[in-house]
Amino acid sequence: MITNSIRRSSVALFVFAFAILSASSISAQAPESGAGAKKLGNKIMCMCGGCNDTALKCNHMGGAFSGPCETARAELKELNERVGQGKSDDLVLQSFVQEYGPTVLISPPTNGFDLWAWLMPVIVPLLGIALVWMVVARWRRKMAAADGPPVSPELLARARDGMGRDADD
Amino acid sequence: MDIIGSFALILALLAAGYALVAGIIGIRTQRPLIIKSARNAGMATFPLVTLGVGCLVALFFQNNFSMAYVAEHSNRALPAFYKFAALWSGQEGSLLFWSWLLSIYAFIALFVNRKKHPELMPYVGAILAGVQLFFLVLNNFVASPFALVGTVGASGATHVVTLADGSGLTPLLQYGEMVIHPPMLYLGYTGCTVPFAFALAALLGRYPGEKWIHIARRWTMVGWAFLGVGILLGGHWAYRVLGWGGYWAWDPVENASLLPWITETAFLHSVMMQEKRGMMRVWNVWLVFITFMLSILGTLLTRSGVVSSIHAFAQSSIGSWFVTFLAIICVVCVVAYWKNRDYLRSDNQLDSVISRESSFLFNNLILLAACFAVLWGTLFPVFSEWIEGSKITVGPPFFNKVNVPIALFLLFLTGVGPLLAWRRTSFSSLKRNFAWPLGTGLVVGTIAFAFGDRHFYALVCLILGVFVSLTIFSEFFRGARVLSARSGANIFSSVGQLTMRNTRRYGGYIVHFGIVLIFIGISGQAFNRDVQKEMHPGSELAIGPYTLVCQNFDATSNKNYTAERATIEVFKGNRSVMMLYPERRLYLASQVTQTVVALHSSLASDLYVVYAGRSPQDNNPVIHAYLNPLVRWIWLGGLVLVLGTILALLPNRQPQIVLQAAREPAQIKPLAAPAPAHHAGDD
Repeated sequence: MITNSIRRSSVALFVFAFAILSASSISAQAPESGAGAKKLGNKIMCMCGGCNDTALKCNHMGGAFSGPCETARAELKELNERVGQGKSDDLVLQSFVQEYGPTVLISPPTNGFDLWAWLMPVIVPLLGIALVWMVVARWRRKMAAADGPPVSPELLARARDGMGRDADD
Repeated sequence: MDIIGSFALILALLAAGYALVAGIIGIRTQRPLIIKSARNAGMATFPLVTLGVGCLVALFFQNNFSMAYVAEHSNRALPAFYKFAALWSGQEGSLLFWSWLLSIYAFIALFVNRKKHPELMPYVGAILAGVQLFFLVLNNFVASPFALVGTVGASGATHVVTLADGSGLTPLLQYGEMVIHPPMLYLGYTGCTVPFAFALAALLGRYPGEKWIHIARRWTMVGWAFLGVGILLGGHWAYRVLGWGGYWAWDPVENASLLPWITETAFLHSVMMQEKRGMMRVWNVWLVFITFMLSILGTLLTRSGVVSSIHAFAQSSIGSWFVTFLAIICVVCVVAYWKNRDYLRSDNQLDSVISRESSFLFNNLILLAACFAVLWGTLFPVFSEWIEGSKITVGPPFFNKVNVPIALFLLFLTGVGPLLAWRRTSFSSLKRNFAWPLGTGLVVGTIAFAFGDRHFYALVCLILGVFVSLTIFSEFFRGARVLSARSGANIFSSVGQLTMRNTRRYGGYIVHFGIVLIFIGISGQAFNRDVQKEMHPGSELAIGPYTLVCQNFDATSNKNYTAERATIEVFKGNRSVMMLYPERRLYLASQVTQTVVALHSSLASDLYVVYAGRSPQDNNPVIHAYLNPLVRWIWLGGLVLVLGTILALLPNRQPQIVLQAAREPAQIKPLAAPAPAHHAGDD
């Protein structure tokens, strides 16, 4: 009985965790839906080397102007041109990777070794859950082994009577 | 002054070295005199490092520009207030500041417990001294704040030079909050050392009982609160000063501060399982160890240049010192654990998956998953460069995608935890307790959806926020109702009594409520808007319900900076609601510009206006306006979190015993030694 309820609740928790985690990974790999240059501007880094922002959000602290620097503006111009040529978002981003290297993308690519960036945050918690599951199962086996034989109602009644007499004494 | 400071730091180093060596000898020989002398030496580092810090601050106020550190981080025009902040604005000064805070913690820990736990404290003293020794070695030999400015002459000899003025403090730090934010963070980081010392000491000394865990918990709460406040202040500073409209950028240095805070949060939950049921001993000890290691790793990331960050100090070779120290800590922890692992055996085991214990277990698992995800994302560019030879960027979208679901699951557990009983909870009671908070949350979510909230995570956050808040309020209400029925007091005073009877539990709930407010505030990010426009007097910019009308541009100056300023009138509909004055300063000493954001903040949204400067194309002034919903909830949540933590640290007030008046006067026999009468009103 208890085992079933435990199983049900654990399955429910797993399903909830999975649903949330998979929702995130699905959205992480969702294909671009023909978004414009403005959206893509948030997916490529400003390559000036003086900031750590995307081309669209380039905001040079300490510089003369808190807005896109020359490099970022040039990248945004290129972006507009390539989007204007009717290229898909993926192709546009790929062309930037060819030009500047993988560091131009704000998020790790989803191929080769860099795929591990995305996989590990999902794999490790799942391994953790599996580990906890195993530990809990071992604890429960130990507890079951430590439990004595079931107590009959007669024995319980006799024990209560005995306790009552002891208390009266 | 510099000689006195240097001398004080050398003496502090010697004192820490003596405390470590004498502490180990004292533990081995059990000679009380040696143990006492080791403790006194450990405490002596505090006045000595304080003298060193005092000397450096005095050098700042004297404008002594023959000192390299003073010349690099201050100038004559720097306001006195910021000369304190200059102390921790660079590598050398911040390491000295770290040593100072550590010496304060060590002094308090050793002094408060000087007559308690005689078997435990010698170990604690030696461990604290070991950590102090490492930082004092850095202060004396690797990054001395008392180095002089020198030039090499024609003969090859070095001459001391006194500069006419210094380079000034970086403008980003010339902001009131920046005088509080780094000390809070450092108090949080260094605060990890004391629980670490108690945990390792208990393990090494096989200290019986759970006393050490109570001490470690209280110290962890202090460090956790400081780190949390430091992180929030950092976010607030970034929001007000950097002018990009955000408060958290998942920068490696920001992440470094978050990591130990997450593991401390995990410990503060799992520690209850050890206190109540004697479980999770290995887990708890390792959480304390890992928290300390993460605080050192964070320092390594900030100071070594391993990862690129706008917050990091100048790249230096100091990283190898931290790597070595981290390796030593790892080895010590692993060996101590391996040799004493039988000491950490649990008394009890989990009875049911639907229990308070299992909710803590899941909470810990999810917190560690979040910690891993942040650490992995922070270090992945380094791994990628090692393996693939090319650097990649791991920016905010990665961290958001990975951490938002984890955080929401945690929020869910925050609501579930209080509904579960220790050991075992029946499904029926779970359903009974679950139904109305979750139902109300879903109703609120549906209303929000009907009003146009189509952002999945923001909607889930709102539903869970309502659910968690209601479970918290019902916990207060149910307890207060029982008390009220017993005592006849009204429900509000019963809530107060209930809270003060179990400050830790109810303080914890208040902290949870603060977290809910922070989550709701963060979820507002999904609806941020911004508009950038070149403006001239009379031109308009529309954002959300506001219309910004540019009235004027002018310039101001003082001896520290010159500034350009816009005067913007804000209209809501046809009604003028306020004037805003965004500003852009040029600091003269460093020739660095800085935005001063104009902000109109309300619970609904922040109107955030930045004077971005003059357009590079046609030299026209450019205004960048943001409309950021719910940001104020984050700062409010921070405040609630602090109040909850303070409450949780207060001792419990015992229930008052009210003596009923006797109907008939009793015959009173005089006692030989009358005991003092206790009346309810005496308190």
